[in-house]
Amino acid sequence: MPEVLAVDAVGVTKRYGALTAVNDVSLQVAQGEVYGVLGPNGAGKTTFLRMLFGLIRPDAGTIKLFGQAREEVGTHVLDGVGGFIESPRFYPYLSGRRNLEGLARLDGGATPDRLDEVLAIVDLTDRAGDKVGGYSFGMRQRLGVAASLLRDPLLLVLDEPANGLDPAGIRDMRALIKRLAAGGLTVLLSSHDMGEVEEICDNVTIMRTGSVVYHGGIAELRERAPDQGHRVRTADNARALALAHQHHGGLRIEADADGDLVAYGTQAEVDAYITTVVTDGVALRGLELTEAPLEALFFMLTESAPGGVPHELDHAAAEAAR
Amino acid sequence: MTMTIAVVRRTLPRLAALALATAAVVALTACGASDVTRARLERNLPQTFSNLYVQQARILGHKGITVQSLHAQAQCDKGGPKVADHGPGSDWICLMRWTDPNVPLPDGSGKFELNVHSNDCYTAGGPSKLIGPLTITDTHGNDVDNPVFEFDACFDPNTPNTPTSVTIPAPPTTTAAPPTGGR
Amino acid sequence: MSASVQTTAPPIAGQRTPRRGASLAGVLAWEATKLRAQARARWVLLLSALAPIVIVAIINGQGRPPKDTLFGRYIHHSGFAVALLMLGFAGQWVLPLLTAIVAGDIFASEDQHGTWKTVLTRSASRGQLFWAKTITAVVFALVVLLILGASTILSSVLIVGHQSLTGLTGQLIPSGTAARLVVASWASAALPMLGFTCLAILLSVRTRNPAFGIAAPVVIGMIMQLFGTLGGVEAIRPWLLTTPFESWHGLLAQHRFTDPLRTGVLVCAVWSAVCLAIAYILLRRRDITEG
Repeated sequence: MPEVLAVDAVGVTKRYGALTAVNDVSLQVAQGEVYGVLGPNGAGKTTFLRMLFGLIRPDAGTIKLFGQAREEVGTHVLDGVGGFIESPRFYPYLSGRRNLEGLARLDGGATPDRLDEVLAIVDLTDRAGDKVGGYSFGMRQRLGVAASLLRDPLLLVLDEPANGLDPAGIRDMRALIKRLAAGGLTVLLSSHDMGEVEEICDNVTIMRTGSVVYHGGIAELRERAPDQGHRVRTADNARALALAHQHHGGLRIEADADGDLVAYGTQAEVDAYITTVVTDGVALRGLELTEAPLEALFFMLTESAPGGVPHELDHAAAEAAR
Repeated sequence: MTMTIAVVRRTLPRLAALALATAAVVALTACGASDVTRARLERNLPQTFSNLYVQQARILGHKGITVQSLHAQAQCDKGGPKVADHGPGSDWICLMRWTDPNVPLPDGSGKFELNVHSNDCYTAGGPSKLIGPLTITDTHGNDVDNPVFEFDACFDPNTPNTPTSVTIPAPPTTTAAPPTGGR
Repeated sequence: MSASVQTTAPPIAGQRTPRRGASLAGVLAWEATKLRAQARARWVLLLSALAPIVIVAIINGQGRPPKDTLFGRYIHHSGFAVALLMLGFAGQWVLPLLTAIVAGDIFASEDQHGTWKTVLTRSASRGQLFWAKTITAVVFALVVLLILGASTILSSVLIVGHQSLTGLTGQLIPSGTAARLVVASWASAALPMLGFTCLAILLSVRTRNPAFGIAAPVVIGMIMQLFGTLGGVEAIRPWLLTTPFESWHGLLAQHRFTDPLRTGVLVCAVWSAVCLAIAYILLRRRDITEG
């Protein structure tokens, strides 16, 4: 018997007047996995997560958490679910600990030990007695994670958890999420950063303007990603280009707007090409990677790139054709 | 163009609701009679006046004055013959007569001016020649407030509204020329 | 960050998630805690206790009595008259304001702090939160009335005295009876207080703006009162929420009449029920798109 899905959303839709914020989105999150919902700002990720939490009512579709729907069990649908939407907000005139105490009361209670425990996990023990009004952005974010863990959740839903944090904070947040996931927690997070999702998540749904454009594993996404681009700057770009066409016909190479050359291919192919160029007497001035393949794929999928969405990846079109 | 249509469609129900509410208020305002009527004032004023007059008698040391012995009666009118006798206003005039051996009423009655409010309360003031000035001297020689000089009262809106049939002849006007050659 | 981590074993097939639930009592206790932590609530209670003492002392020292208000002309005759004068004044805008300070803010402050998304993602339902906040606001209103009334009556009696009181049909009311009637009159203000509390709650939920939720009930109260003094509005007068603030007049008449009180109970009940019903529906149906 298959394990019950942590999240089972089917056909979720939300319209605001003429604007469709979320258009027929379905996704399934199995227990124990780390799932990413990826998309640029305005893609509908936050609206979708708000519907998951019951903050917004969907116009169509069903959302089941651990097999239960809100229509059937009411507020108990969030048993075992914790998380926060956008930057977590608390009562600024109360201390961090008091805020947690209050939220625990809204859960039916928590022991003081548990409060200390979650504060320790997010490293806020020494500031727990200060009013939240004086917290920095990162501290509020951490308090939000603590508040989520207070519910002993089996599913953690985080909306852009690293948003607004400085690089150190981002690194710490990602490390925390990975640790929690390693401990068995199911994690559903949203992000607009492909690199973050690639680092933490197993599976991903990519959204654009309310609709899903890709479902699947990170590994498959990598396979479909375009080749890594390598930017080559030489003393004589014209000669280097000619060499490429002569000796490395299979290598895709383009000149970009600045006159530099960008070669797309495996590392071995590019190594061979560089060797040819240098051996020929053309000096190599610079060699660097362009954007990551998955980043490139992400932009292709979610922005109005001139080429549009690659046909084999056009999920929406495939659904429509079916 | 579509934007304007959308805006109109949104505000139209609100305007309709507002118009409906205003119409309802206006309609309700038209019906519903006031609690302030002549009959109710004619029943309340003498009772209140008598209670206060008895207090005054006690202060002045006049014996034998009770509410029953005063037999106070009032006839009220709002704002002259052309104005209907109901509704709040500061133009209510009540003629009141009572029996006090110590204070005869030369004209047979005293004229009281009432300022009646919509909450069924009123303020009444009468002629100081009959009811005394603002302060009076008690039996110990102290100056105390005259309870009858000006007073507030409130009446029960459920007081019966049947006419009291009290008629008090209007006092003759003081500027009347003395009768010539007998009447 | 600390290395310790909470580990949860993934549930086996068919195992239900841990059942959680908030009790109304728990949510109520939390709302009361939040209210106690707010300076404004403490200030209102303190002022309600102390201001009457100061005002009664000032009234007592005044030479000319305020004859335009009921019992104003008797302020030097009896402390009970002072207590009733203050009641008449309190019903005009003071009492609606005192309750709106909490009731007009208790919902809108969640919008102000952006905390709806925090509290609505726990195990307490919207209904529980609604009732906890409503009960907190109502209890606060009644406590304020109790403190204000007790302070007014006690300071009036202690500063001016407990002489017999001239009632609203000229009758002399002995001290003991007057005391009971004054207390009953102040207590009758609880009904329109309740009505204004519910009105403030509705405005708080609808406008999501604490300033509006606090100011609007007061302004509406003043407008209703002005409207009530007009002639020719008899059909509407009983239905204004400010009319029950004067229903105690009947207690001070020689032949006590309680019809305005009975009407007041009905009117306040209807206002409260309608305002709360609309507020409840609005809260239940709202999409929380921001905080």
